[in-house]
Amino acid sequence: MPCPVAGPYNDEVWGSMKAGPSQEEIRRHNLGTLLRHVHIGGSLSRTALAERMGLNRSTILGLVSELASVGLVREGLPRETGRAGRPSLVVRTESDRAYVLAFDVGVDRLAVARIGLGGVFLDRREIPVPPGGHDAGKVAEALAASALEMVGTAPKGTSCVGVAAAVRGMVRRPDGLVRTAPYSGWEDEEFGEDLVRRLDLGLPVSVENEASLGALAEHLRGVATGCQDLVYLHGDIGIGGGIVTGGRLLGGDQGYGGEIGHMVVNPYEGRPCGCGARGCLEAEAGERALLEAAQRDPAATGRDAVRAVVEAADRGDVAARAALHDVGDWLGIGVANLVNVFNPRTVVFGGTLREVFLGSAAQIRSRINRHALAASRENLRLRVGELGDDAVLIGAAELAFSEMLVGPLETLARAGA
Amino acid sequence: MTATPILELRGIDKSFGSVRVLHDVSFTVHPGEVTALVGDNGAGKSTLVKCIGGIHPIDGGEYWCEGRQVQVHSPRDAAALGVEIVYQDLALCDNLDIVQNMFLGRERRRGLVLDDATMEEMAAKTLEGLSVRTVKSIRQQVSSLSGGQRQTVAIAKAVLWNSKVVILDEPTAALGVAQTAQVLELVRRLADNGLAVVLISHNMNDVFAVSDRIAALYLGRMAAQVSTSDVTHSQVVELITSGRSGDLGLAHSNGATA
Ligand SMILES: Nc1ncnc2c1ncn2[C@@H]1O[C@H](COP(=O)(O)OP(=O)(O)O)[C@@H](O)[C@H]1O
Ligand SMILES: [Mg+2]
Ligand SMILES: [Zn+2]
Repeated sequence: MPCPVAGPYNDEVWGSMKAGPSQEEIRRHNLGTLLRHVHIGGSLSRTALAERMGLNRSTILGLVSELASVGLVREGLPRETGRAGRPSLVVRTESDRAYVLAFDVGVDRLAVARIGLGGVFLDRREIPVPPGGHDAGKVAEALAASALEMVGTAPKGTSCVGVAAAVRGMVRRPDGLVRTAPYSGWEDEEFGEDLVRRLDLGLPVSVENEASLGALAEHLRGVATGCQDLVYLHGDIGIGGGIVTGGRLLGGDQGYGGEIGHMVVNPYEGRPCGCGARGCLEAEAGERALLEAAQRDPAATGRDAVRAVVEAADRGDVAARAALHDVGDWLGIGVANLVNVFNPRTVVFGGTLREVFLGSAAQIRSRINRHALAASRENLRLRVGELGDDAVLIGAAELAFSEMLVGPLETLARAGA
Repeated sequence: MTATPILELRGIDKSFGSVRVLHDVSFTVHPGEVTALVGDNGAGKSTLVKCIGGIHPIDGGEYWCEGRQVQVHSPRDAAALGVEIVYQDLALCDNLDIVQNMFLGRERRRGLVLDDATMEEMAAKTLEGLSVRTVKSIRQQVSSLSGGQRQTVAIAKAVLWNSKVVILDEPTAALGVAQTAQVLELVRRLADNGLAVVLISHNMNDVFAVSDRIAALYLGRMAAQVSTSDVTHSQVVELITSGRSGDLGLAHSNGATA
């Protein structure tokens, strides 16, 4: 199944069209665009929509009525009251009408969410990775079972319009084949296809790399909202990356682009990396490097373990401070390279890198200031992710919604509602 | 940033009796930016901030706000310019709830009656606008809050009045890692929303994590005010401890030029 990546990544649908679009195509496009505006922007007045879309108000009225007639949006009073005068009505999404299923396949936990239009979490569950989690089929089975329960308990009159899954691995475009997910031990898994069969909802399942989805989420709903050029680093068991340039998620030739964790920073004396090479950024600055350098119990991993190191450093623990110092140094080197290559407006530190960034910002910044070109770094903003642990699920939901936001009526009709 | 600074101090002098505490200090603050004010203990950071806030009268120098020279003789004058300060000792009342604290001293009156509903709504909106999700109820007593939450309430109180400049004197000094992170994110969000923020901090990671500019005071003098993207950790440490670093900083490293 093709990955419907065009939606959230591309605002300019008509740009590449040769022949002029038909009236019907224009209307479809406008319906999708309007829905996207309220889906992302929350409640907006018709006047605001007219301004943002460059359309006149009567056209907006027609589009709103059409979306309202199928229950996707509704007009109502703005929430704030107490103002003098008559408040103008706002258009907002009906979060209960259409929803998507979002999966996040972590190394030791799986997360499933049912997320409504507007990005509203309607249901969310976490389940441990089933025994034998290196078997992708077992993971798909557990995810599908949990998701189908959610679908079963969803209120009448609501429809599932898309499904997407995030994996910690490399995903081929356009077919979604998981080429490798080293920490799960997966190789060439048709994970999306497997989910399609097990869910049997008549919907395709998009599969994407988890950090790419984190980048998308922070770009659409998080700290980098409105920012068209950002680099997102996601700390997890490794270091994932997602790069948005000119408002588009960078995929590369086959979708494998953005593997920031395997950027080579220290090839000669560097630490061995899970990918088989030496001195990758992930090997030098990932969770394992930090915990080892801080002389932590190797059995304790994950966010709590990383947090404990940052806290120990704050209390003056020498090994923890040195570990953060070194990791920050390597991260700075990695980011300096990225700044020189992509000239991002914002670099976002997500996942466990939020804690690491706050605990070693002096090192990170110093390296960037020494190595990134002065012109490239002068407007650079370093930020921590705003969406926390939900970033990946939110990103997956946006991917799953992308078809809906291109052709709302068709997608709804296909969902049999 | 080429725009006019929102706040500009030129050649500020301040003495307590015969003790000269600030010497010819210049300091600029820009909207949309976090300016970190750093310096050793006793360098004069709090005194500078109290001069800006109208608590201490300045002995000499000029105070400019949005391109106009102004006179600031009291905290009321500073507040009228949109300058709010969150002092080290937060001055929150433990036995009052969050809303009451946010309006303490300047309750909004509608007609002659104190309008509780409006105050509650304004407080809730301010906290919501700052994406503060850690506070359970705005009718909660301040005594039941953690250190980070108290800081958050104090900051929310400062931004409630459509202020333009918010100055925070060591807001994270007494906080643990997790609460510091929350306050730093809030500080960053304030500036990203367009406010000018001044952050006093001793923690270099905090400074480098959120600031756009760093102003280093050394023995009552402004050693340098630099862009955070132009300096390294060790340069800032040198500015703090010796007043200069390479080409940056004071001409005489002991600061005693007079
Ligand atoms: N009200 C005061 N009366 C007399 N001396 C003061 C007063 N406030 C501060 N000082 C002195 O001014 C100097 C600067 O103090 P302060 O501004 O608190 O420094 P910082 O905040 O950088 O640690 C110190 O030597 C301090 O003792
Ligand atoms: Mg002080
Ligand atoms: Zn590698």
